Amino acid sequence: MEDVLANINDVAVQKFGAEYSEARAQKLYKTMLTLKEGRVEAAKQGIENGVALRVLVDGAWGFASVGSFDAEVLMNAVSGACRMAKNAGLRLKTPIKLAEAKTVEDHVQIKPRKTPSSVLMEDKISTALEVNKAALGYDKRVKGCTIDYLDLTGANYFANSEGTRIEQDKLYVWSRITATASSQGLFTFSREEIGSTAGYEVFDSAPEAIGEKAAKRAVQQLGAKTPKGGKSPVVLGPNVVGVFVHEAFGHLAEADLALAGGVLQNNLGKKIGSDLVTFYDDGTIEGAFGSFKYDDEGVPTQKTLLIKDGVVAGLMHNRETAQKFNVESTGNARAENFRVEPIIRMRNTFMAPRDHSFEELVEGVSSGYYFKSFRGGQANLDGTFQVGIQEAYEIVNGEVGEPVRDASISGSTMETLFKVDAVGKDFELWPGRCGKGQTAFICDGGPHIRVKEVIVGGSA
Amino acid sequence: MVAVLEKYQMLSLAENVVKSALQKGAAEAEAYVYEGQATNVGIERGQITKTNTIIDRGLGVRATVNKAVGFAYTNIIEAQNAVEDTITGALSAARASKRDPDWKGLPRKKMYVAVDKVYDPAILELRSEGLVDIASSMIDAVVSVDKRVFPIEGGAGAAYLSNAIANSNGVSGFEKGTIMECSVATVAKEGNTVTPVCFEFNAGRDRNVDPEWVGKEAARLALNSLKTKRVKTETTKLILTQFALQDLLHFTLINAVKADSVQRKQSPFQDKIGEQVASETVTIHDDGLLPGGLRTWAFDGEGTPQQKTTLIEKGVLRNFLYDNYAAKKEGKESTGNASRAGYLSTPGIEATNFHITPGNKTPDQLLSDVDNGLIIYYLQGAHSSNPISGDFSIVATPAWKISKGEIKHATRGVMLAGNIFEVLKNVTATADNQRQMGQLIAPWILVENVKVIGK
Repeated sequence: MEDVLANINDVAVQKFGAEYSEARAQKLYKTMLTLKEGRVEAAKQGIENGVALRVLVDGAWGFASVGSFDAEVLMNAVSGACRMAKNAGLRLKTPIKLAEAKTVEDHVQIKPRKTPSSVLMEDKISTALEVNKAALGYDKRVKGCTIDYLDLTGANYFANSEGTRIEQDKLYVWSRITATASSQGLFTFSREEIGSTAGYEVFDSAPEAIGEKAAKRAVQQLGAKTPKGGKSPVVLGPNVVGVFVHEAFGHLAEADLALAGGVLQNNLGKKIGSDLVTFYDDGTIEGAFGSFKYDDEGVPTQKTLLIKDGVVAGLMHNRETAQKFNVESTGNARAENFRVEPIIRMRNTFMAPRDHSFEELVEGVSSGYYFKSFRGGQANLDGTFQVGIQEAYEIVNGEVGEPVRDASISGSTMETLFKVDAVGKDFELWPGRCGKGQTAFICDGGPHIRVKEVIVGGSA
Repeated sequence: MVAVLEKYQMLSLAENVVKSALQKGAAEAEAYVYEGQATNVGIERGQITKTNTIIDRGLGVRATVNKAVGFAYTNIIEAQNAVEDTITGALSAARASKRDPDWKGLPRKKMYVAVDKVYDPAILELRSEGLVDIASSMIDAVVSVDKRVFPIEGGAGAAYLSNAIANSNGVSGFEKGTIMECSVATVAKEGNTVTPVCFEFNAGRDRNVDPEWVGKEAARLALNSLKTKRVKTETTKLILTQFALQDLLHFTLINAVKADSVQRKQSPFQDKIGEQVASETVTIHDDGLLPGGLRTWAFDGEGTPQQKTTLIEKGVLRNFLYDNYAAKKEGKESTGNASRAGYLSTPGIEATNFHITPGNKTPDQLLSDVDNGLIIYYLQGAHSSNPISGDFSIVATPAWKISKGEIKHATRGVMLAGNIFEVLKNVTATADNQRQMGQLIAPWILVENVKVIGK
């Protein structure tokens, strides 16, 4: 396969005058399940083959995706991509250049304890049914349980015109459990996610516990009060810290978005948060949902320091943005599959722990909130963010109190980073999926932290 | 674009797969064949830097064995063995799955009506040069408005889509359509101030997009959000533009009118048919046959004819959206709302063109109804709304203050808190300026009594 791809790259360079060419072929196998209240909506499986070609001609990119390994189809695609890139480049003022990258020849094999393809569909369904039973059986007010399951395995071949050739196994297992509860006209819901690149063994440990956890939270919210809108001190759990790091800061530290006018562009080396703030994006954590060995430009992944003690230390790069900043690529170029081009994506993004216990964090708050688990989040290039909260509690006189439902926090990322006044010593990493036109599997996390003040969105 | 698959090629593949699945032991079978070809030209940081083309073809097979449903897909449709493996895959998935006592079979054959303005052959002939021209004029239009505005990303794209479906009840259909779009995202910068990202687009089924309008409008919005003032926390009037409505309704109201949400007791509209659920100003249809609509097709993802369904009439809840499964569960007929994400997924209930009926007022007249309020464009965090209760607590970035009927100044970081179902009851007027955005086609709407948390 790599020979076929290398041949395509040769044609792009020699025949069509490309400065750079890369080809990525994939064979992907998927299993998917959706269960609603224990009803298996459909047991699903699929096979996809395809090739993504990307060429740089006269400083502009041409990309083509085809669902075929046929040599003639690929030749047509590469000629079309080169022609289109040439057209696009006619009005370029600043041609695209790439940072240097070492050439690599490697074959990365994943050796899971349990490969998902060796587990029978029947067994995957049984596991999902156990989760469902635990959720619906938790309390009679639990009315619904949706379970989505996905495993993806396959092979990824990469070759570029500089001589890099990589074959890399792919393996992802993922599941999302959503429980809904209702009582006296009030509806609540709660979500849990599992995701790993290690193997199917993540489902070995008590699947019913995760069903129960989702159900318990949905039920708890039925008795919860709504928050008061306005400014408040908060303690954030690792799950919320993670989404804050990812949404409120991480996207701003993606070099393409920084260049697009994001607020970090002119803040490299500057202090943008309290001394307690240190963030990483790390693709090397074994088995984590956002880990891989080489990115989709053939660059090795790494542990990238983003903020050290409140000072912006670096951004996440692909080869194109790295060239603009005169640095090396950090290996953050990822493509969801062969249908799309690689773009800068996060991997496992987290805040580094410090020295406080949870009790010490909460003790410092006379009246505020403990936000434990998030529902969704979003940020804007101007440095504002919003994070919805699915599990929250009041803090009254330094102690965690009554549950609170449907809260959210918002504010300016940088103002908020300066208001981090204590950071815990614990650490958790949570799997998730990030959308930026394409879906990427990621993790985010950190310790518990305390923030002096954020805007809490209340209810009407 | 390369030569597209012909109707007879796609239909005969679908029909042969159904036959083969039945021979292999399926009680029922359905084959869905998809082709999508798209060409895009992309803008990044103020210039055209990239182009892409995708050719995506595939087959999805649904088979049932003893009322258990299995599904398999592949994108290797030219190889007979891959197609046979997919049929076998659907059958083995069905055998591994569980019997569903509510399964009442695949849809029956029904007549399709022709749909208008969904296919423009000119789009197939459009080469990348044409798209480069569209993208360029959009960039030029942005920059012509003001030097402080910067087109950060965007592009122009043309797509051809076709699908064929066949099932063991005699359903057999083929249709093709085109979509053309251009969009640009902008920010304005002055000193250390960067505005939130502003966005405009044009999308339709024919070749007529207006890149200059898109560029100018995106630039105007960014420019007008440079100077901001704070607003106070209060309960006030809002004009929701289509951007805001799309974000707010997608996760809440549209879920609430899906029959499976109702049947699963996850909709506040359960047992509310015939009741007033919105103000009398609100009339909503799901119109799968709307001429030129972005989601207009003759038939849905399981081969049922699409139709116009009245959901809310003058505030009164009239109906829900059904696929065949949910409809049969209640002894009803599908409303043609089974939707697929290409060949990769089984059908699920989704709105087609979710059409909020426009009113008679011009946008200016609607504004003049507001003595004190905000006009909302882009929202942040709408997907963190509670999809079942409809409670939301989200940020408007930016919103503009309306005072005495005029848009005065931008404001940032304002939070809106409320419940979408209460919002529907507080709609007091709709404008005449409807436009389509994804599945939503709507005018601006005026809402009273929404809590705004200032900064």
